[in-house]
Amino acid sequence: MSTFAIVTAIASFALGALLALLTIPVLVWLERRIAGLVQDRLGPNRTNIAGFRLGGVVQSFADVVKLLLKEEYYPSHIKKGRWLFMLSPIITFVAALLAFMAIPFADILHVNGEALRVQALPIDFGVFWYMAISSIGVLGVVFGGWLSHNKYSLLGASRAGSMMISYELALGVSILAFIISYDTIDFNAMVRYQSGTLFGFLPAWGIFIQPLAAIILIVSLFAETNRNPFSVAEGESEIVAGYMTEYSAMKFAMYFMGEYVAMNTASAVIITLIFGGYQLPYMSTASLIENFSLFALILLLIIPIIVFLLIRWMQKNNRVRPTVQTDGGRNFETKVLTIALTVMTLIIEAILLYLAFISESLLADTLSVTLFQIATFVVKLMLFNIFFIIIRWTVPRFRYDQVQKLGWYYLLPLALLNIFITTLVVVGVHV
Amino acid sequence: MSEKITVIPRPSSSIKDKLYLPAIYDGVKVTFKHFFQNLNDSNAIDTLEYPEEQPRDISSRYRGLHRLTHRSDDTIACVACFMCATACPAQCIFIEATEREDGKDEKMPKLFSIDTLECVFCGYCVEACPCDAIRMDTGIFSLIGNKREDFVMNKEQLLSHKGAFGEECSCARD
Repeated sequence: MSTFAIVTAIASFALGALLALLTIPVLVWLERRIAGLVQDRLGPNRTNIAGFRLGGVVQSFADVVKLLLKEEYYPSHIKKGRWLFMLSPIITFVAALLAFMAIPFADILHVNGEALRVQALPIDFGVFWYMAISSIGVLGVVFGGWLSHNKYSLLGASRAGSMMISYELALGVSILAFIISYDTIDFNAMVRYQSGTLFGFLPAWGIFIQPLAAIILIVSLFAETNRNPFSVAEGESEIVAGYMTEYSAMKFAMYFMGEYVAMNTASAVIITLIFGGYQLPYMSTASLIENFSLFALILLLIIPIIVFLLIRWMQKNNRVRPTVQTDGGRNFETKVLTIALTVMTLIIEAILLYLAFISESLLADTLSVTLFQIATFVVKLMLFNIFFIIIRWTVPRFRYDQVQKLGWYYLLPLALLNIFITTLVVVGVHV
Repeated sequence: MSEKITVIPRPSSSIKDKLYLPAIYDGVKVTFKHFFQNLNDSNAIDTLEYPEEQPRDISSRYRGLHRLTHRSDDTIACVACFMCATACPAQCIFIEATEREDGKDEKMPKLFSIDTLECVFCGYCVEACPCDAIRMDTGIFSLIGNKREDFVMNKEQLLSHKGAFGEECSCARD
């Protein structure tokens, strides 16, 4: 194993951990800001460090500090199994975190004859890994609800358990349809398959190859994350906070963060399975590396436009109304951020210029393509997280029996029908 | 009996409604519209950025913090009749009466305090007062203190509050 392989492995692992963990505060902030904007409010935008609000994202870090410093409180009626009571939020959190680790962030790096996976866990059975690990998360919910010795918690836990059975089957069967049509259980190979085209003009994304399975997958992944419209296990209007009722401080935060990691993981799985993963449509990795100079030129033109629009938007919105006397340092913040963004853009432009015209190194091209794919992945991931959030603030919660009915009566038969048709078509094509 | 029963068909019986997805699409259209509108111009959102922007809708009928009014010679208008303390549903007004020496009236409060933490700002004291001696027209809507005792307004504090809408003196005592 060469040094480069070790560095890649460590970098991929660090990237996976960062993408899963550092997005939590960002997602919590996004959720609150987007909820505000959808409901014609502003959302948290005040907390700042030395005048830097960054749109209010500092609030999430302040919340983390608050949760860490809160009193560790155990309900006194919990006599037996206190260790499991402690452990169950961790099970949920860790399951969601581990499931994220099999997602590829970029295509396989071919350097010096070595094939290096840009995956936190370099495994080639990612789909099975995801399906095995992500189902464990509900165990934490069930344990927590049972050990709380509380009727509401028990109801929430039993709801989570029975809901899990009702959607997990449909989820598994719909993923099976993807496995059949991509003919692989490796996430990365699935993404490579999707970088081709369908009928010559459509990108061969899962949503075009398997539209029905794609919808079933998205719906059951919404159920898997325990979020609206399937948050029956939490069900605050009926059963207080469901399985989380007796939890406080960091124990509660583990459940809370687990939900966001699960959302992140679900987004990653959705984009990897049905929206082309880290690829942009019509651009496979090989063609990107081959025509890298042209590609760098296009990036060279697009990046300044995006940054310019971003700065324009920031200058328009990061200010107070004319009627307000003090601006709370917003002008200063806007100025500093504008300079920082401009300098960053200039540096990126210089690097791209160098790569496009001067450099002849294949390694540099390969690495830049990898970085670009990681960036694409992160942007897609965030877009899907925003989609998750918007859905949460759009759709009311399903009643508990409606979720059961949806899972058993509609999703599962449709998924079975879909897999039947898929098998016929695939066998027909290959014979 | 039976002909009076009307069966109302459930609105969600069509296939389109049972699919859920068209309805979700319509809902997402609405939320996305609001989201992008507000993202594009967050200053157009009709909210008050409170500490910097103060409320603009406090009218003369707004029940703010209490004050004790004066007579034309700047002495207290209150005659310590205990009507306000009797009317108070929160029982937050504490009065101790004393004899009035300057001959304008017979009685005046020696102590007059309102526990604003108990006060429910119902305005019954203002309505009960026969002398127009207590009013809630200061326009003060927030009160800040470091300990509970800070929120018990005594007579001097109540007398020092100014009316925010022009009328300074009691209209019933001169």
